[in-house]
Formats: sequence, structure tokens, C-alpha cells
Amino acid sequence: MSTYGNLKYDFTFPASNPSGSLVLIKSITASASASVSFVNGSNGVVLDDTYKAYKFVFKNIHISNDSTRLQFNGSTDGGSNYNVTKTGTFFISAQTEGGSTIFQYQGTYDLAQSTGVQVLCQDQGNGNDESGSGEMWLYNPSSTTYVKHYTVLYHHYHAANYAWSNLIAGYCNTTSAVDAIQFNMSSGNIDDGTISLYGIN
Amino acid sequence: MPRYKLVNGISIQLTAEEEALRDAEEQAWADGAFDRAMADLRQRRNSLLSQTDYLALSDNTLSSDMSTYRQSLRDITSGLTTVEEVNAVVFPEKPEA
Repeated sequence: MSTYGNLKYDFTFPASNPSGSLVLIKSITASASASVSFVNGSNGVVLDDTYKAYKFVFKNIHISNDSTRLQFNGSTDGGSNYNVTKTGTFFISAQTEGGSTIFQYQGTYDLAQSTGVQVLCQDQGNGNDESGSGEMWLYNPSSTTYVKHYTVLYHHYHAANYAWSNLIAGYCNTTSAVDAIQFNMSSGNIDDGTISLYGIN
Repeated sequence: MPRYKLVNGISIQLTAEEEALRDAEEQAWADGAFDRAMADLRQRRNSLLSQTDYLALSDNTLSSDMSTYRQSLRDITSGLTTVEEVNAVVFPEKPEA
């Protein structure tokens, strides 16, 4: 029991993560990969009620095809089908090296009860020094009571030479547990880069 | 060339069914190239227009140069029929306000 003024609160961190800190679950490095998936229950990957929130960190995602989009989908059947119903929104802010700017709500990539992919970036470049990095949070994916919220901040080198940031948020509209997440490109492969999965309570 | 997916770090060759599905996705992506290019062009055009919207308010007289500039931006999507034409578009120089 802890106290703060007149407040008293009692909480217990689970034995699996007593400190309440981020715990690295798995890092996967792409190599000309058509997709990168994290599926609960094998090869050290957990995506269940072990943690209340999960964080995917994208580090220097380098792609094969110019002007394509990183995207994700979720599964409720252990990765057999990636088609979770989602509703979400998409904002961008961007600036060229010459100083032209864009700040827009981008309804083109919104989802409204769609089982299709959630786009995470717009038209990333594939030049040798071009890549994208960012993070995606997935909250309480194992809940059988609530929808599963996700929030994404992804920044990339745009094919038209912009510093391009994307802010995406939405929810998987299901009360089934989401137990697998897949990332891929709208066309081509993820040639290089690492996606790390962390858990936190 | 066969494709491979990474599942929990394990590289697995796509099945014939998965390859066919991915081929269809790639084809759909290729077929949408012109629409995406136009959407991107409109996005950048709209951003440039919005940066001078305040000059077009009713209590301000728009200069001839600015009026021409804004009309050029509005017309910039006219007559474009290919991705190459869209990518070759050069935005007009913004005049002094």
C-alpha cells in the first residue's frame, strides 16, 4: 500500500515484469522479406495477457520499391488470417529540404470498419540512404471485453524528398483477442531494418 | 523469384496460394499508380493554396500576380493522363504577397 496525501493505492506488478518497465520480447531483422509477423506463442514471442501494452519499434526500415507504404494488419486466429476490422485516422506533417511544408489530415488512408491494412506511411523512398523509423503501440490486445487501440508515429524519407511524419490512431474493432500482427509493404519487400516488440504492464 | 515471409524471425517461403494473393495485391497497387500520383499532386497543391488563402479574403484585394499563381495551382491537374506527366509537373513560383 502506498499513500500520496489522502490517497491510498495498492497495486502489484506481475511477477513476469515486477518493475513495470519495457521488456524486449523479440527483435526481427528483415532481409528481402515479403512480410514480418509477430505471432503469439512460439519462438519467444508473446502477444497475449502477459503484458497490458505492446510497443513495436521500427528501426531504419529500408524498402525495395520506391514510393510504397508500410502497413499492418492484425489476426485473431494465430496468424492464419490477417483481417481484423479496424477504424482509424491518419495525419501527416512534412517538410522538404527546401522548406516547403505540409500539415494535413489525410482521409485517404482512414479506415472505417475495414478488414484491409492500416497504412502507416505515405510513399517512402527506397534510395540507398532512405529509410523509415518509428513506433506503434497496441493496447491490451488480449482483452475480450474492449476493442484494441493502436497509436503510431512513423517518420520516413518520402520518395519526393520530404521529411515525412505520420500520426495514426485507431482501434481493432473486435472483442476477440488479437494474437498476431503482420507488417508488409504495399508493393515489394522490406529489404532491411529491424522491428522490435516490447511489452509493458 | 519466390517470396519469403518472416514469422517470429523464421524465414518461410510463401505458399502458392500466398504468392497468388500477393501477386494480386501487387497488381492492384500497380493499377492504382495514376490515381495515387494525382492524389499526391492534389495534396501538395492544396497545401500551397492554403498557404495563400488568407490573401483571398473578402477584405483584401488580391494582386494580379497572386491571382494568376493561385489559378495556376487550381489548374495544375488539368490534362494529365499518365504517371510520368504527373511526376513532371513543376509548381509555379509563389509571387510576393
